[in-house]
This record gives sequence, structure tokens and C-alpha cells, in this order.
Amino acid sequence: MVHLEHVNCILGGAQALKDVTLHVERGEFVFLTGPSGAGKTTLLRVLYGDLKPKTGAADVAGVDLMRLRGAQLPELRRKVAVVFQDFKVLPERTVFENIAIALEVRGVSAVSIDRRVRAVIRALDMEERSYARCSELSGGEQQRVAIARSMVVNPELILADEPTGNLDSDLSRHLIELFKQFNTYGTTIIMATHNREVLAWAPEARQVHLVRGQIIPPAPGSPGSVLEARPIIGGHL
Amino acid sequence: MSTTRLFLRGVADMRRFPLPQFCTLLTVCMVALLAGTGLLILHNVQHEVLKTQGQARFQIYWKVGADVNAVEAQWADLKRAPGVAEVSTFTPRAALSELMRGLAPKVSGGGFAGADAGSNASSGEDFAWLEGENPLPATALVSFDIPPAEAPEPWMGRMYARLRGLDGVEQVTYNPTQLTLATGWIALIQNAAWPALGFFALVVGLVVGNTLKLMMLARKDEVEILSLVGARPWFIRAPLFANGVVQGLAGGVLSLFCLKFLQSWLRAVLDVPPLFLKVEFLPLWQSVALVLATTCVAGLASLIAARR
Repeated sequence: MVHLEHVNCILGGAQALKDVTLHVERGEFVFLTGPSGAGKTTLLRVLYGDLKPKTGAADVAGVDLMRLRGAQLPELRRKVAVVFQDFKVLPERTVFENIAIALEVRGVSAVSIDRRVRAVIRALDMEERSYARCSELSGGEQQRVAIARSMVVNPELILADEPTGNLDSDLSRHLIELFKQFNTYGTTIIMATHNREVLAWAPEARQVHLVRGQIIPPAPGSPGSVLEARPIIGGHL
Repeated sequence: MSTTRLFLRGVADMRRFPLPQFCTLLTVCMVALLAGTGLLILHNVQHEVLKTQGQARFQIYWKVGADVNAVEAQWADLKRAPGVAEVSTFTPRAALSELMRGLAPKVSGGGFAGADAGSNASSGEDFAWLEGENPLPATALVSFDIPPAEAPEPWMGRMYARLRGLDGVEQVTYNPTQLTLATGWIALIQNAAWPALGFFALVVGLVVGNTLKLMMLARKDEVEILSLVGARPWFIRAPLFANGVVQGLAGGVLSLFCLKFLQSWLRAVLDVPPLFLKVEFLPLWQSVALVLATTCVAGLASLIAARR
């Protein structure tokens, strides 16, 4: 699903990703971990075509990111759904409209949109809020809308950038359960987080640790220790 | 989703951002009004110039003491001559009366009995002592329509010679530069129209484009989300384009109403003595062109802004 080979990326004159090699198979659940500024968001931006790597080879869902042109971007974005920490929902639109928009851009018929959106809203237990404006929703509800928008299009890959960052513990756990459930249907999930609790709620997920733009292999037998990684001196641990 | 539905969505979405939309509409309207005012001035200058274009005006002076009856017979012939647009005549008495009125316009007084009707209405200084020794000649101011097939200046030369040859005529004056000036004005206006229109389009484009770009800051999140969920460029741009077109159309029409108000006010202010300027409104084709140009430029500017 994701194949990165020796990817280097420059952002604002600084090297944001350094020789990153990462392979994620279809149906995997992967956590990207690391301290703030480690390059988690940058890596996700590369994966959804928002940043172009300077060198290396990058392929996501069959799309060659090194040769990605503007016209091909919608094709990639239709295979890859993105969930953000700040939800990115349209506050003036209703829950239904926010979810439906992902189907409208794909040219799905109105009847089908109605059926699919209602099904997702039901699955997320938000039926009573279907026609509420997103500005009237709590943070947790808005994040569920954002996840619903991702789910409704059955993407091959979901990228989540600190999706629990603005939520309390209970809501965070609920969302992780949602992602796990979605993952059981075969959707690949890559989630950036620096929250230890979140990692504990999905122990079966693979953890990829980033420090200063580089992937650091975890110490054998200590999956949690990656969160304690120290700055690299001279490019070595 | 069809293009029509995207357009309708763009129009419907305008209500979501009332303040930026209102500010944009105001800007478009004011820029179009500015351009419309320029057109209004050009149109009225051209109209005034055209009123005198194609005409030649001669001032004919008869000898002092020329037989008034013979002169009046010549005036009657002149009035019947082909191509004569307007004749104003002054007997020596009428001329003196005009002179008196001009010298003391606010002092009431008598005039000369027997002066031409309309030219001895009121007079100030009493020049009665000049009666019998009036030094002023009989004069006539004659305007001719120059035949379209004729070259103006040679025709005026021939007419000059003909008038100069009339019995008792001492002097004929005319101003060939008046015609040249009028022709020059027309050429200037016609040549200035296209650059002015181009300048207008550029200004409208820049102002409207930047205003729409600012307005799109309010819709930045929407554009970003649409892009994230895989919307094709046209899906994002079509509603914004529709928004720009509606803004341009509404702004253009609104500017016409403002322009009409301005024209009515200018007419009331300028149609008084001694100006008597009747400020006319733009002809229909120019009004339509103003609205269409504003609409097109606003639509184009919104497309460019959305592209960025």
C-alpha cells in the first residue's frame, strides 16, 4: 500500500525527512510516533500528496508520488482519506452535508449519497445530530464527523494526524476503537500520535518511530521505549 | 455533479458569507460606477461635439449704411438657400440694442423702437444719441450643413467666396479650425475609447480579483477540505466562478442605477444658464456593455483567484 525508499524531503530550507524507507502492507495498522517536530506530519503530508519528496522513491496506493502532477492529485486523494487533529469540518454545514461532500466530489448519485451517509451516521450513533451544524457540535462529535467523512468513501488508506489530540481520554479511546473496527474491514491505517495511551489501546498495531526526520528502529523487546527516544548525535543512536 | 448544479451551489453558497459578499459587491459596484462615470463624460463630450460637427458657421458684415431693405432681401434668400441650418440676423439697430444690453445687462431702460423682435427686449445704457449715426453694420450669422460628399475646407472656401461676393458685403469671417477641432475631438474620443475600456477592464480585474481573493480567505477551509476529499479543480472552481459572475452582474446593474442617479443630479446642476448642458445617460449598448464587461471581468478574476 505504501512504499517509500530513501525519501528525503526539504521543508522551509531544512531537511524534514531524511532517508526514510517505509513499507506498509494493505490492511496494516501503523502508528507513527515520535516527539513534536520529528517529521510525523511531514511524512503524512508526503503520503497524501501535499508535499513532494526531493529524492527517493514513493508509491502510495499505486500512485507514484515522485511523478505526481496536479491533475492526478484528486485520484490519489480519492484512495487516501485524511483525518486531522483540528477536525477540518465545515462549521456552517450540517453533519449530513459534511459527510456527503466526500461522495459529491466523486459524482455519486443523490440517492446513493443519502443511503450511504445515513448508514455511516447510524454506525457512528449520530442520527439525532444529522442536521445539526458542525459549529454546534462538541470536539468529539466533530472528529466523528471527520472520521465518518473518511469512512463513507471506503478508502484504501486512512491517514490520521493526531486525531485524538483535542479529545479527552474516553472520546479518544472510542475513536481508536472506530479506527480498529474500520481496519478489520481491510482498510490500511497510518496514525501519527505521541499519546502513549493511544498506543496501548491498539497493541497489535506496528509502531514506526521518527526522530528528526529519520525512522529509528525500536529497541528489541521494548515497544514502548520508542517514545523516550533521545535526539540523535552524529546521525546515530 | 453537473456544471449547472455546481453553478447553482456557488450561487446558493453566497449566503453563507454575507459580509465578505457584501463588501465585494460594494467594491465591484464602485469600480463599475467609476468606469461608467468615465463613459458618461466621454459620451456627453462626444454628444456636444457632434452637435456642431459637420456644420460651418459664417459671420457676414455688410457695409455701414447699406440699404436695410436690400440687406433684408438678401437675408431672405440666404434662409432659403440649400444646406442652411440656422440664420441669425442683426440690423444695425438690433446690433446696437444687443450691445447696450451687453454693456449694462442689469440696468433696465428703453431701447430703439423698430429693432428686430427678440433683440431689443431690454437695454441698459441709453444710446439714443447714436440714432442716425449708428456705426454698427448689419450682420448675419449663418450655419450651413456641409454636404457629406464635400471635403469641408474647400467647400468652406467656396462658400466664403460666394458670401463675400454678395452686394454690400464688406467682410465675411469664419473659423476653419472649429471644424478641425471638432473632428479632432471625435478622433480623440474614438481613439481613447478602446484604451479607456482596456484600462477599465484591467482595473476591474485587479480590484475584483484581489477582492475575490480576499473573500476566498473566508472559504479557504472549504477549498482545502474539498481538495483533501479528492475534488477535481473544476468542482472547486465552478462555484467560485459562479460567485464571481453573480457579483459582477449584480455590481454592474447596481452601478447603472447609481450612474442614473448621478446623471440626473448632474443634469439638474448643469442645465442652467449659461451652461445649458443637458447631460444624457449612456446609450443602451454602452449600458449593456458596462454590465457585460463587469460580469466577464469578475468571472475571469474569480477563476484566476480560485486557481491561485
